[in-house]
Amino acid sequence: MAQTDPVIISGVTKRFGAVTALDDVSLSVATGETFGLIGPNGSGKTTLIRLLLGLGKPTKGNIEILGSSKRSTKITGQIGYMTQSSALYSELSIEENLQFFASIYRLYGAKQRASITQTLALVGLENRRKSPVHTLSGGMKQRVSLACALVHNPALIFLDEPTVGIDPELRMQFWDYFKQLNTNGVTIIVSTHNLDEAARCDRLGLMRFGKLLANDTPEAIKKKSGKDDFDSAFLYFAQRNDTKEQ
Amino acid sequence: MSMRRIGAIAFRIIRQFLHDKRTMALLFLAPIIVMTILQFVLNSSSSNAILAIVPPSGPAGTAIVSHLQSQFSANSTITLKILQANQVDSSLKSGDIDGALIFPSDFTQQILLGETPTITLRLSGSNPGIAKQLSGLGNLLITGFTSPAANSAAGSTSANTPILQTSYLYGGPQFTQTDAMAPLLIGLFSYFFVFLLTSVSFLRERSQGTIERLMVSPSSRTELVLGYICGFTVFALAQSAIILLYVIYILQVHYAGNPLTIFLVTSLLTIGGVNMGIFVSAFARNELQIIQFIPLLLVPQILLGGLFFPVKTLPIVLHQLAYVFPLTYANFALQDVMIKGFGVSEIWGDLIFITAFALVVAMLAAFSLRQEKI
Repeated sequence: MAQTDPVIISGVTKRFGAVTALDDVSLSVATGETFGLIGPNGSGKTTLIRLLLGLGKPTKGNIEILGSSKRSTKITGQIGYMTQSSALYSELSIEENLQFFASIYRLYGAKQRASITQTLALVGLENRRKSPVHTLSGGMKQRVSLACALVHNPALIFLDEPTVGIDPELRMQFWDYFKQLNTNGVTIIVSTHNLDEAARCDRLGLMRFGKLLANDTPEAIKKKSGKDDFDSAFLYFAQRNDTKEQ
Repeated sequence: MSMRRIGAIAFRIIRQFLHDKRTMALLFLAPIIVMTILQFVLNSSSSNAILAIVPPSGPAGTAIVSHLQSQFSANSTITLKILQANQVDSSLKSGDIDGALIFPSDFTQQILLGETPTITLRLSGSNPGIAKQLSGLGNLLITGFTSPAANSAAGSTSANTPILQTSYLYGGPQFTQTDAMAPLLIGLFSYFFVFLLTSVSFLRERSQGTIERLMVSPSSRTELVLGYICGFTVFALAQSAIILLYVIYILQVHYAGNPLTIFLVTSLLTIGGVNMGIFVSAFARNELQIIQFIPLLLVPQILLGGLFFPVKTLPIVLHQLAYVFPLTYANFALQDVMIKGFGVSEIWGDLIFITAFALVVAMLAAFSLRQEKI
């Protein structure tokens, strides 16, 4: 485990009363990598992402983000976050939303304008920049939401179920954006319960009932399980974990 | 802390509301409509009044008092009280009485000598409805002194009618019921609409997930709360200014104090309303729950703050409870400025409480944001 990795999770457990949402999770994510957190609803993906974002503290264990276990403004300024819902100001236009989030990250003036134009081009919404968000389709809102997470050129991006409710064509486009970002050295942690998307990640963390069942490249996961598809591979690791616990 | 980030939040809020025409209409038109309706309602109502009698010396004084008491025994809206002449102004100031009918001490002699005595009706004027009621009653009583029964009570056989001279401690005959209620309504509407608007907006920030984006950004909780306060305060101040201008120039409410002092009081109160809105939104999951907070947080303030019943007439527990609410202090301050013509130096105690309330609730609002964490 290299110390330079932008995300290092060591033995993290999170409990909500009697419920254990995360159980002794350890993993690290390398620079410029897309790490997929894969698992069914309630497996602990969102809880892990929220802990990584500093929206909560682990009951046990340690989280290091961009070389620090504390969330200073220097660290948070380099993080982008796309929430499960579109999380936009619906009364404002696309451009106004981007202006606001850029300002929050202290991006002003010419730099802000250049970044907004570049981000809108990336998500293909240059022609709709003046449109109020409430007039957009669900897919467009998701694109704007992604743009808001990218507008300040973060080094580390967390995407919580970014492709939920969007059509296959747009989903493909999103994954193309992510690859494009990776080539620029941006690290991405993406959660999804869609196993079809697993192959698009550089590495996968299979999660179930708060446990990390497997953590490897898509090909290695298939190979270890001896299965051809991720559905079967997931079931294999789930059953293996159940047997181990018994 | 970054002022530019605070500015960005405030600017975003302003932009958002400028796009939201319905909310803008609620903010500015609703108080004006309600105040117009209340003007008509209040000007046609009357209330209980306490009238003090300062009788002339000697047995004629006793006779006049018993004559007046017999006249008022059937009138449930007026309570009579006997006072000394030197107690009148202090009783009016403290609100123990609403007016005093002051007979000259040599009233009987003047009547016997065939002179025309002057009876003074000294009115508080802080409640113009009651002042009007007592003024009319005073004239009626004076006319009554020409009747044989009244003259025999005063020991006179002649029919010279005394002159009634009316004077006011505050205001004057031109003050109407609307003038008395306007300070209370200005405070109430500024506070109520801003509270409602902020709490629902902040709730939306939580429910649509934007607050989560902000909380993972370099923006601190304090910056977020301050940004909100600045953004909403722009509208709160605009609303206060519009209500005030409408009340003064369109409804032509009479006021004695400086409009800037009135604006200062309403501004501080509305800032408290903004902060309370942010704080309360932490305990609501949807708009309906915000509405449910109104009977809990606002109605007691409205009922106990002096709008319907004078605070000092409330039962002791409610009286003490009234002094916990910022609206009560704002009502005192606004009445003192608008009716009595007081300045900042005379209402500073009220201003300190309203400011302290705004600060404490701002801290609670920032604290409530910390609880957003999982």
